[in-house]
Amino acid sequence: MTVVQDNHGHGHGHETEPVDVQDPRLSRFEIIKEGARRDDIEIVTYESQFPTANSKAEKRVVRSIALLFLLSGAGALVFLIAYIWWPWEYELGHSINDYYTAVLGISLGISLLSLGFAILSWAKKLLPHEVSIQDRHNTPSSDDDRLITGQTMAYMVDELGVQRRPLLKGAIGLGLAPLGLVAAAPLIGGLIENPHKDAQPELFHTGFDPVANDGKLVRLTRADGTPIRPSDVSVGGQITVFPGIPHGATNEYADSPTLLIHLRDTDAAAARQATDTDKRNQGVMWGNYVAYSKICTHAGCPASLYEQQTNRLLCPCHQSQFLITDNARPIFGPASRRLPALPLSVDEEGFFVAGSDYRETVGPDFWERP
Amino acid sequence: MTSDPHGGRRFRVFARKRSAPSRARRRLGAAVRMIAALAMAGGVYAGFTPNAAAEDDRTLSSSAAEGKALFDNSCITCHGRDAQGVTDRGPSLIGVGSAAVEFQVGTGRMPMTRQEAQAEKKPPQFDEAQTKQIGQYIQEIGGGPQLPSGELSDNLATKPEALARGGELFRVNCSSCHGFGGGGGALSSGKYAPGLHTATEEQIYAAMLTGPQNMPVFGDNELSPDEKREVITYVTQQLQQDKDPGGIFNLGRYGPVTEGLAIFVIGITILVFVALWIAGKS
Amino acid sequence: MKRRKFDVTQVPANVGKGLDDRYKAATPLRGLLNKVFPDHWSFLLGEIALFSFIILLLTGVFLTLFFDPSMKEVAYEGAYPGLRGVEMSAAYESSLHLSFEVRGGLFMRQMHHWAALLFMASIVVHMARIFFTGAFRKPREANWAIGVALFLLGFLAGFTGYSLPDDGLSGTGLRIASAIMLSIPVAGTWISASIFGGEFPGELIIGRFYIAHVLLIPGGLLALISVHLGLVFAQKHTQWPGPGRTNNNVVGERMFPRYALKQGGFFMAVFGVVAFMAGMFQINPIWLFGPYRASEVSSASQPDWYVMFMDGLVRLMPAWQITLPIGDGYSIPPLFWPAVVGLGALTTVPMAYPFMEARRLKDKRSHHLLQRPRDAPERTGLGAMAFTFFIVATLSGGNDVIADKFHISLNAMTWAGRIGLVILPPLAYFIAVRICLGLQQHDREVLAHGVETGIIKRLPDGRFVEVHQPLGPVDDHGHPIPLDYAGWVVPKKMNRVGALAPAVKGFFFPVEKPAEAPVSPAVPPVSAPEKREEITSGR
Repeated sequence: MTVVQDNHGHGHGHETEPVDVQDPRLSRFEIIKEGARRDDIEIVTYESQFPTANSKAEKRVVRSIALLFLLSGAGALVFLIAYIWWPWEYELGHSINDYYTAVLGISLGISLLSLGFAILSWAKKLLPHEVSIQDRHNTPSSDDDRLITGQTMAYMVDELGVQRRPLLKGAIGLGLAPLGLVAAAPLIGGLIENPHKDAQPELFHTGFDPVANDGKLVRLTRADGTPIRPSDVSVGGQITVFPGIPHGATNEYADSPTLLIHLRDTDAAAARQATDTDKRNQGVMWGNYVAYSKICTHAGCPASLYEQQTNRLLCPCHQSQFLITDNARPIFGPASRRLPALPLSVDEEGFFVAGSDYRETVGPDFWERP
Repeated sequence: MTSDPHGGRRFRVFARKRSAPSRARRRLGAAVRMIAALAMAGGVYAGFTPNAAAEDDRTLSSSAAEGKALFDNSCITCHGRDAQGVTDRGPSLIGVGSAAVEFQVGTGRMPMTRQEAQAEKKPPQFDEAQTKQIGQYIQEIGGGPQLPSGELSDNLATKPEALARGGELFRVNCSSCHGFGGGGGALSSGKYAPGLHTATEEQIYAAMLTGPQNMPVFGDNELSPDEKREVITYVTQQLQQDKDPGGIFNLGRYGPVTEGLAIFVIGITILVFVALWIAGKS
Repeated sequence: MKRRKFDVTQVPANVGKGLDDRYKAATPLRGLLNKVFPDHWSFLLGEIALFSFIILLLTGVFLTLFFDPSMKEVAYEGAYPGLRGVEMSAAYESSLHLSFEVRGGLFMRQMHHWAALLFMASIVVHMARIFFTGAFRKPREANWAIGVALFLLGFLAGFTGYSLPDDGLSGTGLRIASAIMLSIPVAGTWISASIFGGEFPGELIIGRFYIAHVLLIPGGLLALISVHLGLVFAQKHTQWPGPGRTNNNVVGERMFPRYALKQGGFFMAVFGVVAFMAGMFQINPIWLFGPYRASEVSSASQPDWYVMFMDGLVRLMPAWQITLPIGDGYSIPPLFWPAVVGLGALTTVPMAYPFMEARRLKDKRSHHLLQRPRDAPERTGLGAMAFTFFIVATLSGGNDVIADKFHISLNAMTWAGRIGLVILPPLAYFIAVRICLGLQQHDREVLAHGVETGIIKRLPDGRFVEVHQPLGPVDDHGHPIPLDYAGWVVPKKMNRVGALAPAVKGFFFPVEKPAEAPVSPAVPPVSAPEKREEITSGR
């Protein structure tokens, strides 16, 4: 391979004489070198990594690269075979099917990594070692060019003569501004929703509001819609309840899920004392039962990790903790507002109903929350 | 302390005052006297042994008696005599039922080695039979929830819908603490919900029934026995036994935390080494 | 008439001629083929991001063929028994279909997700490289800002993608996103209602996120990445100082043949690593999460790692609520500060950093030579501070998992994060600056006195001294003439100046030829070194 030691003209390439590339006596590399020179590149070293052609070391490298290519092909074949014939349908339990994704990934990974390393070794080990120096040309444009371009632009503005023709100036403003608004209008008009447009804005009301139920008190139901009797919740137990209205347990009423808790006697006494001395929570409990919104007042995750001994509710998203026996007051974490309590009552058939909607706004906090 | 001879003589003396009875009556009389003597002997015995009066009026079955022995040996320090509880050490076990023992002792949580926020799962100290005996004892002295007999999970061959139903119930009731993948999770101030990967059917059932430690109780009114079986089916069949289909390792199913760790520890590390190799001095 | 003989060897030349007649391509192509790129491992980190992006486009297109961005309720009747009969949205149903009933679909989904994590991870690592080496300085301030914008766009692309399957975890994320929008003062409820098309969750959000995720954001990413690379091309890559390397040249390899080949090979390696991870490690098992229900949640609900810093800040935020007693009363919830102000500041303030630094140093020159982190201790300190902040916030985003797995109290983790966020960054600044100064001093010591040889000499008067190998010429007394620091590695061990061959051959060193001694700064650089504040040696 060619060894170039370009010693003269240490700084830049242009000092050497220009070469006539059409000269048939020139070798290909000399033409390439001349091309580089024209791009202000000086090829300082360009030498084979092997002192002699076809040396033992070179053959060894070639062999290992060939092996990598073959390995890549083998990996790809394994991938194809597995893709077509490996049983892949999901089966419960432990079967060979569970390794479908693994086989695909490992075979493709091996194939691609081998190909990558084959190419890399080719570049790194077989291609000549090179050091080239290119001029960066980081001087800015010449003063002349700057002046010419600047003047051209100023000339363009002058020719338009907006300065001289004030009528046009006004007309452009008045003509184009509405057109610009046309572009924005469908976006703004179509996208913007008024959160307060309903007579009963959903921000402030949940599915437990009797208004949504023809004025009747709303029952507390399980996810499948069955109503709940007090005896259905064990002492120290809790149950997630939904408003007993159509679609009450779906995401349509995403603020309504509520946690109904049956406290122990001593805890219930503490909780009752706390609710009764509170202005808004008076009388929300029914017996030893209390119901708090499951929607965290911080970011809206279900704060549903109920610890029955410590009577804390933990939200798994940001670790706010609420004390059930003290009006679900936040006692740790980023939540700043207590969980709203659902006033509990029991109807004539013995099922739990909500005495009214929540007395406080449910869900994450916002600007205009009263 | 037998007073038979003496008693017999008195009866005989008494009989002499009467006319001689017939042979048959004599025989009958002997039997009556015998019975009366035995009854009297019993009464005297009772009168002379005051300890027996303090013995509970209920009788323990033999396995409960074995359980009592184990209880008095290992549990009494904290839970007190007759499981009445000791203030600041351990709660009363009256009313917790054998299901609670099944869970607490069966998972090695009890006996506790020291007082801490939450009892740790350990290799159980008692074998299954002993756990049953303690459970029997607690059940007989205080009553409470018991594990039902029969299968605790559903057979998916005959009831395939149990899996999806159990999954729904699991996500509503259990995943908030134990996680979607059943890996467990942290609770407040050092408490935690344990992972479910090694929980047995009995333990899961007992835990739901009794609400051990900070776990809420899921009595039979909240989750019917059928529903409990479905939850157990989901936990054991889907979360414990099913091999994850998405690769060889499931990264503990802890979600984005382990995934993020993996991309740096494996992905970025490998590629930085490749980059080092590519640009290595040559 | 004889047919002209068809000369195969002339075909490329003829095609080339034809193309150049029409498009005049030869001259610009020559320049492109000849372009010189400097070679250093740290210059390849950005490529990882570029290649992951290509993988994301390829796998993402496959996923769109099966995904249905609809929130219509359907009952699942597919191949996964654990959800059969469950009501769910069509988006979730199609994600399950893609995972279980499309051959190789799960593998593609996992590749897409791993490539996304890798994309963001390599962006952060690449950003760290740019920052700590001062590569953002004039004239590259705009490209730095574009890079920061790419992180933000990648963040949004990742979050929208995380939300699309509409599983339990993505719904929880959406719920938090809606709460973050609600927390914005004055306009919060309007913004949330406008984006969700009414009350959360509504029925539109998946469709909207879908078009954002597959068109708008990738379009923006593609445009910015093109400009980013175009600027790297136009301004030429920065390089490390070293012999022959000046502010006015680029020393390296021409694009062809070697550099382009290495890039191609590295692309395959990145692709291979992503495929390998997708096969080895399960990611985001949506079938366990179930469809999103507002009442369902899992412990350890986390966003993907690149959103975790924001979630961590939200977790650490104390419950400080601002209430304005006007009318019915208005409030700014604590969520607003870390999530809106924090995210906004962390993604925009870095954009201005190059200008801030130039202003502080009154530096208006262009810089094409990189600085070693030790040579700019204050910048390194600031970077250490910023990354410490980021890492503490990110770890706090997973503090419940850490608490659970290492048996630490959750509340203690939160407090550790709160205190750590305040205390550790200044500490990191202090330590980083001290380390930088120490390294600088040691470099200059070696340049002044030579390398420690480990050979102890006893002087006639009984003293022991260690023999130092001078790196440059010595004066008449045999004492080394102190060398100037040139901003590049100073050899500090004897085998770095050719005393010993490297211990392991063949990995970082060529097999064939013994490694030449790494270029020593003893060789005087072509240009005079920049004026530096002299730090006097300790002796």
